[in-house]
Amino acid sequence: MTIAIVLLAVVVGAYLVAVLERWSVHGQFSLSGPAVSALALLGRESLLARTPDRLFFEAGPILLLVAGLLGAAVIPLAPGLIITDLATGALFLNAALAYVLVALIMAGWGPNGAYGLIGGWRFLGQFIAYAMLIVMPITAVAMRAESLMNTQIVLSQTQLWNIAYQPLGFVLFVVAAMGLAWLPPLDLPSAPGDLAGGVEAEYTGVRLGILRLARMVIILVMASATVTFYLGGWLGPVLPAWAWSAIKTLIVAALMLFGGRYVPRVREARYLAISWKLGISLSLANILLVGVIALVVPI
Amino acid sequence: MTALAQYAILLGLTLGTVAFVYAVYALARVIGRVQPEPGKDVPATAGTLSRDPVWVRYHAKYYGYALLFLAFDMEMAFMYPWAVVYREEGLVALLDMGVFLAILFLGLLYGWSQGALRRQ
Repeated sequence: MTIAIVLLAVVVGAYLVAVLERWSVHGQFSLSGPAVSALALLGRESLLARTPDRLFFEAGPILLLVAGLLGAAVIPLAPGLIITDLATGALFLNAALAYVLVALIMAGWGPNGAYGLIGGWRFLGQFIAYAMLIVMPITAVAMRAESLMNTQIVLSQTQLWNIAYQPLGFVLFVVAAMGLAWLPPLDLPSAPGDLAGGVEAEYTGVRLGILRLARMVIILVMASATVTFYLGGWLGPVLPAWAWSAIKTLIVAALMLFGGRYVPRVREARYLAISWKLGISLSLANILLVGVIALVVPI
Repeated sequence: MTALAQYAILLGLTLGTVAFVYAVYALARVIGRVQPEPGKDVPATAGTLSRDPVWVRYHAKYYGYALLFLAFDMEMAFMYPWAVVYREEGLVALLDMGVFLAILFLGLLYGWSQGALRRQ
């Protein structure tokens, strides 16, 4: 029962993220827009490129969707409303999201097209830039919560949300999450206007539909992970717990979707340099700072 | 719930997702099939056939970062268990990991000074 409710929440959430994405890209708010696009994609032909690596081509979108849903499975929406409350939840989220890289490289390699392949390889470079900035802030969160269990991490923020306790970690995590979900300005693998769609270039029809759905789920998972780790998850006054999760997740998703549109696209080499020179130093400083605070202050 | 049951649920979720995707593919196939037409299946390369083969070896120009990434990724394997018991162990844990991280950070600075942190 719980599983059905959470999956329904993921479907509704992914749909609302699609509405937000459409709003941020085309500037028009339309609740029916993504449904119309999905039906149109369902009706179109789904071509197979001339000499594809069939296995990789088919596996790419499916693996991306699986990675997103496995990530969603360990995120609590309310007390008890979680598919599996793993003892290593925060670590499992990392492990699931590592497959985003594999799926995108498969999707780029599969159709044997130049644009797709360049998009896939670019994402490998991007992965090396964002990966450490996802895991290191989560370590600082786990230090405060004394647990990797995601419900425990939310409960540790009862007195003070982590965004106030470790604001540096919040900023690093959100930017890295935007890199993981390849949102602008870090949208190198798809790069509209530059790579003719990149990894999406050779996908048409229903396969493209699955690829887009998977991406919406990934964006939703990154937004709700930010809420779980930094914004107190379901905690909040008056409204029921699930409503707080929903509101916060949508706000973070809107922030990630709209915010990056005002920044020019960052090249892979520059992104690597910034992440390793500035990002790693800051996240090590964050761990040290949280370490000192956690020993001095009891909350 | 035991850990094994939890992982069984996650396995079920994976298989269910794959089944869902193939159900959607089947639905699309019922609606209509692909019409074979000449030139339709050429990968997008600005309207022409690809001049060079695509599956060739690429130069991983970020290899300096990639090597450092390996070191930092290994470090994370130690960081997670350390983070969980951090408050229990107190100052000892801070000093232990502080020394470890300081050495690693010096390694990063050395790599930086030797030009590892740029696109080769």
